[in-house]
Amino acid sequence: MSNAESRISYIGLIKNGIFSENPVFRVALSLCPAVAVTSGVKNGFMMGIAVLFVQIMANVTISIVKKFIHPKVRIPSYMFIIATWVTVTDLSMAAFVRDIYAQMGLYIKLIVAFAIILSRAELFASKQKVMPSFFDGLGNGMGFLFALVIIGFFRELLGKGSLWGYPIVNTKPLLIMVLPTGGFFAVGLLMGLFNWIDMKFFGGGGAKLGEHRH
Amino acid sequence: MKEMIKITASLVIIFVAAGLIMAVVFAKTAPIVKIKKEQEEAAARERMMPDADNIIETGKWELYGKKGKYFEGKKEEETTGYLISTYGKGYSSYISILVSVGKDMKVKEIGILEHAETPGLGDEIEQDYFKKRFAGKSLEQLEVVKVEGTDKIQAISGATISSRAVTNGVRESVKLLKEKYSEVTE
Repeated sequence: MSNAESRISYIGLIKNGIFSENPVFRVALSLCPAVAVTSGVKNGFMMGIAVLFVQIMANVTISIVKKFIHPKVRIPSYMFIIATWVTVTDLSMAAFVRDIYAQMGLYIKLIVAFAIILSRAELFASKQKVMPSFFDGLGNGMGFLFALVIIGFFRELLGKGSLWGYPIVNTKPLLIMVLPTGGFFAVGLLMGLFNWIDMKFFGGGGAKLGEHRH
Repeated sequence: MKEMIKITASLVIIFVAAGLIMAVVFAKTAPIVKIKKEQEEAAARERMMPDADNIIETGKWELYGKKGKYFEGKKEEETTGYLISTYGKGYSSYISILVSVGKDMKVKEIGILEHAETPGLGDEIEQDYFKKRFAGKSLEQLEVVKVEGTDKIQAISGATISSRAVTNGVRESVKLLKEKYSEVTE
């Protein structure tokens, strides 16, 4: 990542966020919301969209104002920028799209404390120009959205026998899948699947203990 | 010393700028939110009292420092029931509730207008299965229990605090209505 900036391709950044450094399945960040809100596809999707927006806005802002941030107080500065965007999103949605806000309002306020957003600010946006930061935010936000939707898909299908609230299969569901326990099962198994795909088709070594890709 | 000033300046610039952005957004959106909330509350009142053709505000009251109002529903000068807005002190927010009470001082229906409880746990209070547990309950029955049954209010598993908050809010509101109107009805 510290190679020449010119070599970074925007599509590569998006792919990186969605697959090779997927926030949930590869980097294992923000697992708490990934388990807590994915009892259904809809919840996961709403949360993912909110995170996507805040991630992009926080990355872009931090990239623009990085010159004014003193390195010794960068974390509180990032937190405040993230909190500002979360508040702006929350207030504007409450005013202009109230029916969507009624569904998503609960999730938006939680984003302030998400590790993934702070981690992209620290690892990427604080060192890069605006455009790469935008695409990094887009990629990671989409990666998080994708992870939440796919976890929600399996948990809702197995745990409630429905998708997006509509009944699909008419058998007795595995209630454990919608409980937190099932969330850990789903995240763990999907994480394994991602490692397997990476090793089998992309020649990667899988994520190893103690290894960090940066 | 010089670095200290630099750090302070950096933080002040960022915090003031961010604070200004938030203040501007709040100033622009707050009046819109207020108008829309009032419209939604009026719509909720009509939805919860379909048999009345005139809903009159009859008083104001206060719970946990939050202001509520109560209303009398009338049809051709005949009282059909009462509506009262109340609050519950939830896990992470004040839960705004609208309660419809019949002339017999039993709860007819409750509606959750606004809250910020935990998604997946506390927000189950919005679900119909929980709200239906309040139908037909009298003041004495408005109490949270953790066992199954329909005599009292059964708590949602994993959301006892939110369930208790709603129940307490409803109970206080029924108590107030009973004080105000019981001599009329009995």
